[in-house]
Amino acid sequence: MNRSVLLAVSFCGAFLPCVAQTQSPAAPPDLSGVWAPYRGGRGADPALAPPPASPIVLTPAYADAYRARRAAEDEAAKRGEPLGTAAVLCTPYGMPRMMSVALYPVEILQRPGQITVITEAFSEVRRIYMNQPQLPIGEVPPGYYGHSVGRWDGNTLVVDTIAIKESVLSYQNLPHSDRMRITERIRLVTNDFLHDQITIEDPVVLEKPVVYTLAYRRMPNYKMVEFVCENNREYIDEKGAVRMRVREK
Amino acid sequence: MLTIGMVGGNQRVLAHHSFAMFDTAKRVTLAGTVTAFEWTNPHAYIELDVPGEGGRVKHWSVELGSTSILMQGGWKFNDLKNGDKVSVILSPLRSGEAGGLLVQITLPDGRVLGNGPGPAGARP
Repeated sequence: MNRSVLLAVSFCGAFLPCVAQTQSPAAPPDLSGVWAPYRGGRGADPALAPPPASPIVLTPAYADAYRARRAAEDEAAKRGEPLGTAAVLCTPYGMPRMMSVALYPVEILQRPGQITVITEAFSEVRRIYMNQPQLPIGEVPPGYYGHSVGRWDGNTLVVDTIAIKESVLSYQNLPHSDRMRITERIRLVTNDFLHDQITIEDPVVLEKPVVYTLAYRRMPNYKMVEFVCENNREYIDEKGAVRMRVREK
Repeated sequence: MLTIGMVGGNQRVLAHHSFAMFDTAKRVTLAGTVTAFEWTNPHAYIELDVPGEGGRVKHWSVELGSTSILMQGGWKFNDLKNGDKVSVILSPLRSGEAGGLLVQITLPDGRVLGNGPGPAGARP
């Protein structure tokens, strides 16, 4: 699909009024720039803050194990021995968690054929190929970022992602199967606020799709900070708890 | 010098792991000498020699946020150097080891920095 703006051609002459012949499928909005998570909370504009997420409903085969894991996490944290996760070992988050990590911004680079997202935390990179058909699940090697294709639906960027590795935890540390599909609807709410509505479907793990929205605010002059995990003093002990190494001197 | 105090309130988790290994309801105040300042990820660290009773020196490892989070809180990579005398408030490790999470530091020039954006020491 050619989204370039066709220039208006004017016919003006001595005997004719000026008529602008405009065929302009409007150019898509430019999402390029650095965006920081905007979580709302007290004093936030409700029109800009993310709307509440849908409830998480797992299939019976997964519900008990997930509930038990969450309870164990809470109990371990209360005890002061938080359970380790892959991130403690500096393993990247992958999709979809990489899209919102603490206060860390993401950078969007937009070209007509490809939109690239670079995160500050762990310097993760995902590539969204524009206007291409999605590949069948099972033909893409599963990874942290999978395979993403995008298209413009009016002013909304719609992104379809498949092939996320099963070891990469999903939203709220949910498990998922190789059938998981992530659909994002990304749009500018104002020039300086961006929403990414994320729908996760997984016929094996989820009874119904999970829908949540991430909000971002523009960081106009921000330069992304490098993040190389070179001095990780946290480790997971034999009981699965996170520990910090202290130095003797 | 070591003081332990109790304060209320919870701190938000803002990095790649839970902070539950630190007792964030406690505050330990240390006055000591910087032996290393590591401007690194996923966390920056301050190594600190703290004189104790009888001239015995106890060594502490102090965890900070990541470099990005620290810069958002007004830190610069060269704000500390070896030999600097500083005063540090931290939330100690629950394990009892000599380590903790920075809450607030007073630099030799008197500036007070926290562990990220917001008022000094408001959150890690």
